[in-house]
Amino acid sequence: MSHDARLAALKIELPNPAAPAANYVPTVIAGNLLFVAGQITIFNGEVRHLGKLGADMDIETGKQAARLCGLNIISQARHALGGSLDRVKRVVKLGGFVNCTPDFIDHPQVVNGASDLMVEVFGDAGKHARFAVGAVSLPRGVSVEVDAIFEIA
Amino acid sequence: MSGSIAAKLKAMGLELPPAPPPVATYVGFVATGKLVHVAGVGPTWGSDIRYRGKVGQSLSTEDGYAAARLTGLNLLAHMNTACDGELDRIARCVKVLSLTNAGPDFTEVHRVANGVTDLFAELFSADAVPSRSATTAPSLPFDIAFEADAVFLLH
Repeated sequence: MSHDARLAALKIELPNPAAPAANYVPTVIAGNLLFVAGQITIFNGEVRHLGKLGADMDIETGKQAARLCGLNIISQARHALGGSLDRVKRVVKLGGFVNCTPDFIDHPQVVNGASDLMVEVFGDAGKHARFAVGAVSLPRGVSVEVDAIFEIA
Repeated sequence: MSGSIAAKLKAMGLELPPAPPPVATYVGFVATGKLVHVAGVGPTWGSDIRYRGKVGQSLSTEDGYAAARLTGLNLLAHMNTACDGELDRIARCVKVLSLTNAGPDFTEVHRVANGVTDLFAELFSADAVPSRSATTAPSLPFDIAFEADAVFLLH
């Protein structure tokens, strides 16, 4: 099944690709790599999942936040590739930033929200390398930010 | 493991830890063309976390350096798998992202990060040291003291 067909079969609704908040672009294609800028928890202009893990947000909500970052990554990638995901050969890398308290240690579980989505949508091609790290604050007060690198055909 | 990098490791009295198993839904590395993207790893030996806590608080800068050096060996452990045991296939390390678990007043971040890049400078040629970003994190997974990811270029 193609990536587009799988996305449709899963009935996953992608947000519109958000315009960058400053003087940068959301995607850059360099050779066979597609770099996607850090995506936050925004859905068609509405900022969701504000807060800090370890303080006012539980891990399950944090996972949902990471999933929404992942949906925005896929939306940006599709837009950059002319409206289809079928040129995606592999999700290479995710970088996960979790807005959290200094004593928080469950970053991997939170970022799984984005990682699980990639495998759901891209199957084996969605298995990626990644890092997960705590951040003392994130843009607009969101709880999670994720960036990505794709390999494309 | 064979080749000149493996011999150099041995001469330095260093051993590679077992490639760290990913702790969540991701893989240890992804190869694309001549680039290998290695996932974030920490100061572990198998499932044993050797350095926990915040550098500048419960750990000294020297502890942080040692944690970073062990983290570098874990990056190489993944590369050893990526290269089927032939570390000489590595042309150079392109980029390291260095994350030190520390409080907001810690300023020795670069000295901690040297633990990784000194190791690579010793192992690979001195004119092929990696580019690097070094920053702190207010917290890291499982309270590890240090985390790094890297991109390597193959011959």
